[in-house]
Amino acid sequence: MTKEEVNGATEEEQQAQSKKALKKQQKEAEKAAKKAEKQAKLAAEQQSADEDDFAKDRYGLSAMVQSQQKLDRALVRVQDLTAEKVDQLIWLRARVHTSRAKGKQCFLVLRQQQFNVQALVAVGDRASKQMVKFVANITKESIVDMEAMVRKVEQKIESCSQQDVELHIERIFVISQAEPRLPLQLEDAVRPDGEGEEEGRATVNQDTRLDNRVIDLRTTTSQAIFRLQSGVCQLFRDTLTKKGFVEIQTPKIISAASEGGANVFTVSYFKSSAYLAQSPQLYKQMCICADFDKVFCVGPVFRAEDSNTHRHLTEFVGLDIEMAFNYHYHEVIDSITDTMVQIFKGLRDNFQTEIQTVNKQFPSEPFKFLEPTLRLEYTEAVAMLHEAGVEMGDEDDLSTPNEKLLGRLVKEKYDTDFYVLDKYPLAVRPFYTMPDPNNPKYSNSYDMFMRGEEILSGAQRVHDAQLLTERAQHHQIDLEKIKSYIDSFRFGAPPHGGGGIGLERVCMLYLGLHNVRQTSMFPRDPKRLTP
Amino acid sequence: MEIYCRNVFCSRFSFAKLKYVFPPFQNGDVDPAVKALEARQDEILRKLYELKAAVEGLAKTVTTPDADLDVTVSSSLSSQSSNCAIFKGTTNLDALLGEDLGALRDIVINANPAQLPLTLLVLHGLLCQRYRVLSTVHVHSSVSSVPPQLLSCLGPKHADSYARHMFQLGFTLIWKDVPKLEMKFSVRNMCPIEGEANVARFLFKLLAPYPSDPALATLVDSWVDTVFYQLADGSTKERAAVLRALNSALGRGPWLSGPEFSLADIACYCCLLQNGSASSIPANVQGWMKSCENLGHFGPAKLLLK
Repeated sequence: MTKEEVNGATEEEQQAQSKKALKKQQKEAEKAAKKAEKQAKLAAEQQSADEDDFAKDRYGLSAMVQSQQKLDRALVRVQDLTAEKVDQLIWLRARVHTSRAKGKQCFLVLRQQQFNVQALVAVGDRASKQMVKFVANITKESIVDMEAMVRKVEQKIESCSQQDVELHIERIFVISQAEPRLPLQLEDAVRPDGEGEEEGRATVNQDTRLDNRVIDLRTTTSQAIFRLQSGVCQLFRDTLTKKGFVEIQTPKIISAASEGGANVFTVSYFKSSAYLAQSPQLYKQMCICADFDKVFCVGPVFRAEDSNTHRHLTEFVGLDIEMAFNYHYHEVIDSITDTMVQIFKGLRDNFQTEIQTVNKQFPSEPFKFLEPTLRLEYTEAVAMLHEAGVEMGDEDDLSTPNEKLLGRLVKEKYDTDFYVLDKYPLAVRPFYTMPDPNNPKYSNSYDMFMRGEEILSGAQRVHDAQLLTERAQHHQIDLEKIKSYIDSFRFGAPPHGGGGIGLERVCMLYLGLHNVRQTSMFPRDPKRLTP
Repeated sequence: MEIYCRNVFCSRFSFAKLKYVFPPFQNGDVDPAVKALEARQDEILRKLYELKAAVEGLAKTVTTPDADLDVTVSSSLSSQSSNCAIFKGTTNLDALLGEDLGALRDIVINANPAQLPLTLLVLHGLLCQRYRVLSTVHVHSSVSSVPPQLLSCLGPKHADSYARHMFQLGFTLIWKDVPKLEMKFSVRNMCPIEGEANVARFLFKLLAPYPSDPALATLVDSWVDTVFYQLADGSTKERAAVLRALNSALGRGPWLSGPEFSLADIACYCCLLQNGSASSIPANVQGWMKSCENLGHFGPAKLLLK
C-alpha cells in the first residue's frame, strides 16, 4: 500500500468522521434550540402566570378556623337552592363530592347530607387559569366555603337532588382539606348491589363500611336511615306521652341476671362483679308497683349472645313499655299496637323523602299495615302452618323459618306486614308470664311481627308473689337470686303487662333492609368492638 | 185489620195521659206507697208498649208475603231466635269451608271505601243470625282515612271478641285501595274471589243452598248479574230497561225468582238503594221494596247510606 493510498483511506475516514460529527453537531444544535425554546416558553408562562393571576384573592386554602373572628355571614343550605334563589349571590359551606376538570372549565358537585348541587368555574373574567386549576385539585370530601351566583339551568340536572339550578363560583376557600386517598369512595358506597355486579363497578362490602363508619355515614342512604330512626324514637315518645305514659330511666348495672341464663355480660364492680342489664323488665314492673301506672323507657340493652346473624347485636337500643290494666291484658295489646300504628303512620306521612332515598339503593316493598292491628291466635297460626304442610306440635315454639312462612301466609291473606300473635303456649314463655285462666296449656302472652320477623315479645305478668314463686320453682330457678323481684309484689301490685322492641330491628324491617348493622350507627356484635 | 188495630190503641189510650204527676216529696221523704204505685205503672206501660209492637208486627205480616215474624220487633220480645227462619234448608259449614282445624275460619273481604258493598253487609247481618260470627273492620295503610260510619258498619263489637276460638266464622272487612272488591279465605286452597256479585254468591251459600230446581237457580243468578252489571254499572238506558224488567217480573210473583225470597232480592234491593232515584221506580217494584224493608234485614245498609 502506498502512502497516498493510506492517506486516501484516512481522508475517507476523516470525511466519514466529519460527516458523523456534522450530523451529531446538527442534532445537538437542534436539541439545544428546542431546549432554549422550551425554557423561553416556560419563562414566558411563568411570567404570564405571575402577571395574570388576577383572581389570587378569590380562592385558596383558608387558615384553620380557630374562631379568629365572628363573621356575620349567612350560609344557605343546599336543600334551599331552588328556582326561587336564581340570580342571587349566596355563600354556602358544603363538601366537595366530585370534581371534573375539562380544559378551561371545572365542574364540582357539592354535597350537604342528603342534598347535592352542581357548581362550575370557568376561565374568564371572573376566574383565572390558576383558580380553575386549584379548584380541580381540591380533594374529595374537603369542606369548602363558596360564594356563588345561583343560575337557572335549561335542562334538569338528573344526577343531583337540586335539579333546577347550578352555582357559578365567585370565591372558594378550603376550610378543611381531606387526605387524597379515601378508604372508600362514596359513590361506590351508595351503588345498589345489583348495579355493581352488572356494570362491573365497585360496591363497598359491609366490613369496610363499618371499619370506616365516619365516611360511610356521610352517604345519602345512611343519612336517610338514621334520620328515619330518629323519627321512630320521637314518634314513640310522642305517642306514649299523649297516652299518659311517663318516661323512666332504669339502671343498667345490676346485681343479678334478670331473665336468667348465660347471656349476660359481667363487669368488675369494685371488689366484686355485676352484670349489664339484659332488659329493663324488673325495673319497669317495680315502677308499676310503685304506682306509676304507665311507663316507658328508651335505653341500651346488652345481650351476650354469641349469635352472628343478620338480626342480632350485642348492644342495641330497647324501647320498652309497661302498663297496669283494668280487667283484661288485651288493653295492653291495644295500647302497644296503637302506638306501633301511629309510628308507622308518622313515618309514612312525614318521612317519604328518606324512605325513597333508602329505596334507591335498597329497593323493597312499601310497608303495609292494618288499623286496628290484626290479632291472630296461636292455634290459628298452627292451623295455617299445618295447612301449608309444616309439621309441628300444638305447644311447640315457632322456629325462625316457620315465623317467616307464617308471615308470608298472613301477608297473602290479609296484606299486612305487621300483626300480633296472641295466646302462646305456656311452656315456651318465661316464668313470670301469666297462665291462661281457662286453659293451662296456654298463656296470656303475645309476640308481634314485622315482615315475618319477631320484634316484640310481651305478656301479662304474674303480679301475685305466691303464684310467681310457684312458677319460678316450676322453671327450677333459684329463688334466692330473684328474691327482691318477688318482694316487689308483696305489698299490693296491680295487674299489668307490657313488651319491648328493638329500635334497630324495627327500622331495618320497616325499610325492608336485610342486616341490622345497617340501622345501627356503631354496631356491636361478637366480632366487632370498634369504632 | 191494620187500621183497626192502630186506631184501637191510639184513640183509647193516650200514653201521655197515663203518666200522673205526683209531688215526689212529702215531709222531705218519698212515700213508699207512691214508689210502689209508680213501679206498677211503669210495668203496665211496658207491657202496653210490647203489645203495641206485637200488633204492629202482625199487621205487617199480613201485608208482607213469606215473613214469619217481623224481625225488627222480635228482639223486643223475650227470646232471641238464633236461626234465621227466612231461609229454609240446611247448610254445613264443614262441607262448605273445609274441615275445622280448630282455629277460626276467617273470611277476609277487601273493599274500596268509594264503592260500598251493601249486599255483603246485609248478608253479614244474616250470617250473624245463623252462626257465631266474629266481625272486625280494619283500615289498610293504602287508605289514609275513612268516615266513622264505615268503621262501625258491622255493628258493635261482640263481648267475646277477645277469644277468637269461640266463634264459628270470622268476617274481616278491610277498607283498602283496591280496584275491585275481593274476598280471600283459604290462600292455599282457594284463589281470591273478585267482584261483589261473586262474593255475595259465596256468602249466600253459607246461609242456604240455591234452589234445587236448576231453572230457578239460574233465574236467581241471572238477576244477580243483571243487577250488578246493568243496574249498578250501566247507562241510564240500561237502568231503565232493568227497572222495566223488574216491574214485569214482580207483577208475576212476590219475589224476583218466584215464590221464595232469595239472593236476587237482596242484591236488587241494595243496588236500587244505592243507584235508583225514588221517582223513577215503577209501582210493582215499590211494593216489593216495602216488603223487603218489612223483613228487617236491610237496616245496616240503610244506616250506612245516611
